[in-house]
Amino acid sequence: MKIEMKVLLTAAVIGAFSLSGCASTMQYGDAGSAKPLTTEFGSSDLQQIAEAMVDSMITFPPMVEMTASRRPVVSVDKVKNKTMQHIDTESVTDSIRTRLIRSGKFRFIDRTTDAQTIEELKTQQDSGLVDKKTAVDFGQQIGAEFLLTSNLSEIKQKAGSTTDVYYKFTMSLKNLKTGILEWSDEKEIRKVFKRGTFGG
Amino acid sequence: MMKQKLSRNVIVAGMAAVAIAALLGLAGCSTTAGVEATGKTTWDEQGARSLEKNVVFNNSGLKGDIQIVDIKSAMAGDVMRTQATLRSKDKDTLPFQYRFEWYDGSGLEINSGAGSWKPLILYGREAKTIQAVAPDSRAREFKLKIREPD
Repeated sequence: MKIEMKVLLTAAVIGAFSLSGCASTMQYGDAGSAKPLTTEFGSSDLQQIAEAMVDSMITFPPMVEMTASRRPVVSVDKVKNKTMQHIDTESVTDSIRTRLIRSGKFRFIDRTTDAQTIEELKTQQDSGLVDKKTAVDFGQQIGAEFLLTSNLSEIKQKAGSTTDVYYKFTMSLKNLKTGILEWSDEKEIRKVFKRGTFGG
Repeated sequence: MMKQKLSRNVIVAGMAAVAIAALLGLAGCSTTAGVEATGKTTWDEQGARSLEKNVVFNNSGLKGDIQIVDIKSAMAGDVMRTQATLRSKDKDTLPFQYRFEWYDGSGLEINSGAGSWKPLILYGREAKTIQAVAPDSRAREFKLKIREPD
């Protein structure tokens, strides 16, 4: 009987250890993980949107034709966030802009750093520190040919223990001279959460 | 004698229980290696484009669930595009994750580690295509990875 007890005790201890492998731990995760935790807008949603938009834009036939010989200059507008959530939408457009720049097809101007640019140019022009031959003059920047605009909306439905959230991200490339939308696409994401019978 | 035999049986049973518990404990946290498909584009002397394809199953469970029916590739300007047709072998709806990795002509990965997993839902016996576009014009080769959700 004593041996039986010992075996059971050992089994219980080892069993507990093997279970504790799944207890609270701290570790690095995969930045590209697609594991949804909530129906809220998450990192994977951002990555999916950015990839879908860039893939669509650089393979759209008129865009392929236009970017074959030149790299048009584009400006990015703020995303109109029509969801009920606080989302860092600049992060979404940053991802899209980075991918488009890295594709080698487009060039961008960044209006968010204009204040720093003006300050730097003022220093170069007026402080007397900078050689006039190398100082950058005002009024030499290239104007953007296109404006990248986007919308993010959500439709949330809740019934009993199920929450269903539908996200739609729409992006368009507007020709600033003619006002024509040269390209547009949308990415839809649906996230469904079912609350279990026991807590959770 | 009888008592000794009984206790030995208990030991064996105990060991088996521990092994099973440990196995379950590990399985609860493991991520699955999945299916890998590669495609490499080459041009012959006449300038005709061809795609070498290769599919590797690292996970026998996944092999029973999913089949890569076809891999195609085309160029959009100077950027490589690819499409894979996947078919579910199961009668139930199954969730998967996939990602594409891109390599240049010398086999070096482009934007190493930057790709993200994308969710994919296959309904029972459904065939679906997934597409991807290379990050830039250097890409000559891609690797498609499919796994069960983590």
